[in-house]
Amino acid sequence: MAFNIPKEKAVPLGCITPAPVTEQPMMITGNWREYRPVIDHEKCNLCMNCVVYCPDACWQLNQAEDEVVWNWKYCKGCMICVNECSTSALSKAYELDFEDGVVRLEKPF
Amino acid sequence: MAKEMVLSGCAASAQAAKLAKVEVACSYPIRPYTAFMMELAKMVANGELDCEFIHGEGEHAQLSVVFGAAAAGARAITGSSGVGVTYAMETYSPIAGGRVPLQMMIADRALDPPGDFGSEHTDAMSTRDQGWLLGWAETPQEALDNCLINYRVGEDHRVLLPQMVCQDGYFVSHIPGPVLVPDQAQVDEFLPPYKLPHPLDPKRPVSHGPQIRPDQGTIMDMQRAEAMLAAPQVIKEAFEDFGRIFGRKYSFLDQYKTEDAEIVFFIQGAHAFTARHAINHLRAKGVKIGLVKLRFVRPWPTQDVAEVLSKFKAVGVIETSTSYGGAMRGGNLLHEVRASLYDCPQRPITTSFMAGLGGEVIPLHEFYSMAETLSGYLKAGKAKKTVHWVGFEAE
Repeated sequence: MAFNIPKEKAVPLGCITPAPVTEQPMMITGNWREYRPVIDHEKCNLCMNCVVYCPDACWQLNQAEDEVVWNWKYCKGCMICVNECSTSALSKAYELDFEDGVVRLEKPF
Repeated sequence: MAKEMVLSGCAASAQAAKLAKVEVACSYPIRPYTAFMMELAKMVANGELDCEFIHGEGEHAQLSVVFGAAAAGARAITGSSGVGVTYAMETYSPIAGGRVPLQMMIADRALDPPGDFGSEHTDAMSTRDQGWLLGWAETPQEALDNCLINYRVGEDHRVLLPQMVCQDGYFVSHIPGPVLVPDQAQVDEFLPPYKLPHPLDPKRPVSHGPQIRPDQGTIMDMQRAEAMLAAPQVIKEAFEDFGRIFGRKYSFLDQYKTEDAEIVFFIQGAHAFTARHAINHLRAKGVKIGLVKLRFVRPWPTQDVAEVLSKFKAVGVIETSTSYGGAMRGGNLLHEVRASLYDCPQRPITTSFMAGLGGEVIPLHEFYSMAETLSGYLKAGKAKKTVHWVGFEAE
């Protein structure tokens, strides 16, 4: 069986993609959250709980700056990181209180 | 040297898993398949098998555990029966779509309600459209052999699909039969080590099961369809190697006394055993009858079914599963049989028999009555109906 698959639609075997170094710009999924986690770097002791527990790898360690960095593009606002934070450095904040707060999907799927 | 033993289907499957050197097993109890996990657990406890043995908290968890294990590069096995098989339904498509070739041992059990422990193929047959290899064993020997054949085919990089290796509950899973347990060296020659082309690896991080766009969905489905289409050739190669190494010859359709047969039973699984005896008795009375046994439901051997069945005048499909409201009003196999024969210039008369449901034995006299129905249709030149509920027909 031979298929003619346009290049821009190609999917790797089993849809297995390099991760988490690659973001799919077509698939921004952090635009429906109601709350976002906010970090107080003074309180953070880099225990890495947020990095480990985030189901979408939205917390990454920036080794140069020695701090954890939040990825707003994929965070759904589940607040697992806030719950797991060992030093209460993370807190929950209402998304629309931020000037860049996400409101809704920019385009439907 | 291969060792001759007397084993139940569950014990034979456990021997097969051990010979395949499974690295992760995940269990959750439901009879009749449980005996398989008991055997495996014993092997692990006795230090005969180096395998991570994990207790799942349900069948959905069982499948998820082995999904992760096999995705990380471990040869993994799990299993279930009846409602356990259907409870894990959600996991079947992602495992096949993710192209992770783990194996599931199924000892069939009728689905609820209200709860019937007997064997019926409806549990695994309900999953047949998810992209898993699917097929039945007739004896404990075949249960052992099918485990090895399925691992080899599923793990082949041309296929990369998970496998449901089924055996009838009790009839195969619990009735001991003679089994030649092969030598480890033979199995090592037949089954190369498991090597996933895209394993989870901290050194080379990949993302399994990400979200895709709707316009990529067709392509994902095409990949799976292509893998399934590649499978028959890989299975054929596996059968050849299996025959060479172990001395047991298999094919997509095993035939029994079909050379001069006018009518045949088309069947899969344990009841083929009784059917052979019925055929011997019928032949002694002059009935030209034979048997064609199906080994794989998925991939369905369309070409083989067309070539083999078009030689006969009447085919009685014995269904041990249900498809309520289906085109043939009975089970599923007749749908596939008729579709396979559609393009043949010479088509046999076909009909189906609902028998052995809920785990009932199909006694010899029921096979005789099926043969009588087929002979009647042969004389009349056509089938009166597509389904017969054996033993309960009013006329």
